[in-house]
Amino acid sequence: MAKAKIARKSTAIDMTAMCDVAFLLLTFFILTTKFRPQELAQINIPASTAQIPIPDANILLIQVSDKGKVYVGVDDQNTRGLWLDKIVERYQLPKPTAAQVANFKLMDAFGVPAERIPELIGAKADQLAKIEQPGILMDSLNNQLGDLVRMARIVNNDLRIAIKCDGATDYDKVDKVIQTLQDQKVNKFNLITSARTSGEAKE
Amino acid sequence: MAEMTTPESGAKKKGHKKVRSKKMSTRVDLTAMVDLGFLLITFFMLATTFNKPKAMEVNKPAKDDEIDQKDLPEIKQSKTYTVLIAANDKAYCYTASDDDSGNVSVDSTDFSRTGFRERLRERQKAVATQWGSQDELFVLIKPLPQSDYRNLVNVLDEMAINGVKKYAIIDEFNGPDSLIVKQVGQSFEPAAASN
Repeated sequence: MAKAKIARKSTAIDMTAMCDVAFLLLTFFILTTKFRPQELAQINIPASTAQIPIPDANILLIQVSDKGKVYVGVDDQNTRGLWLDKIVERYQLPKPTAAQVANFKLMDAFGVPAERIPELIGAKADQLAKIEQPGILMDSLNNQLGDLVRMARIVNNDLRIAIKCDGATDYDKVDKVIQTLQDQKVNKFNLITSARTSGEAKE
Repeated sequence: MAEMTTPESGAKKKGHKKVRSKKMSTRVDLTAMVDLGFLLITFFMLATTFNKPKAMEVNKPAKDDEIDQKDLPEIKQSKTYTVLIAANDKAYCYTASDDDSGNVSVDSTDFSRTGFRERLRERQKAVATQWGSQDELFVLIKPLPQSDYRNLVNVLDEMAINGVKKYAIIDEFNGPDSLIVKQVGQSFEPAAASN
């Protein structure tokens, strides 16, 4: 009996189309990726079923780490510049150079007492990460968080205030931030949470 | 004159053939390029944060100095439900009685689905039968200083899930609260500072 012969086919496949697709997708992802900014502290936000997206602009973000350290920042670079002017005036800091102002404008958030801001904005980019940021002062006599929030609201009236707080933070530390905000007549603010579908079980 | 032998003349001698370069295939093996492409795609896909965090809106009443205490409406105790958020993911819920006897039965629960949510739903039903609508329920949320922020978010979330219209975060504790806190070994003091 004659064996049935299978026609031998070449194993080489034309990869051109696949290559095209791969690079098209690659281009898409490169263009849409926004890298996460360097965070001052690792903050694990709690999940909730809230569906309101965070507005894209005019945000004053107060970050609270699990140890209760507080960092603040505004999202808009122009606001940052005007804000720095106010801070310098309020705390009688030495007038920053143009390079220092530019440096401050690039900071998403900071967490040093106001007196140390010149040191922070004077640092070069590679040294910035090495500066230890102990958090904004919130003493009852010298509540710099309140001052910073007030000044930011003066320079940008449309600012909304968002609190991004670690789930494991003790409530008294969050409460201190909220009380500070309320002292500045901010009674409406957003708590940032990650999305969870309503059916999902809680850990 | 001596004849010079050039390759050209040699070619001529062999007949009028054109010089042809060797035919090479134009096909390039693209496999490696595709591999690289997909590797980069994977990287960018993973680096992209698709689910943007969401915001939960909180409205606090203005501080006392702006409000005349007389203007505040009085809420019947039997319409309220108090939840004390305590450390170690514990919750203590109770309904205060209308008379000032201070007798309350406290439910100790947690923030799982079968915990606080069920208690809240029972309470909603009870309020609905007593007052006609479950919207009459007023939940008082009292987080203790040592409680985790995560649990406050959990409770606020339950308010949204169960459609509780009226609730408030309250920082003042009354008699029953201090009794409960004492009984279960919690504290009103913030945790000792540790760095």
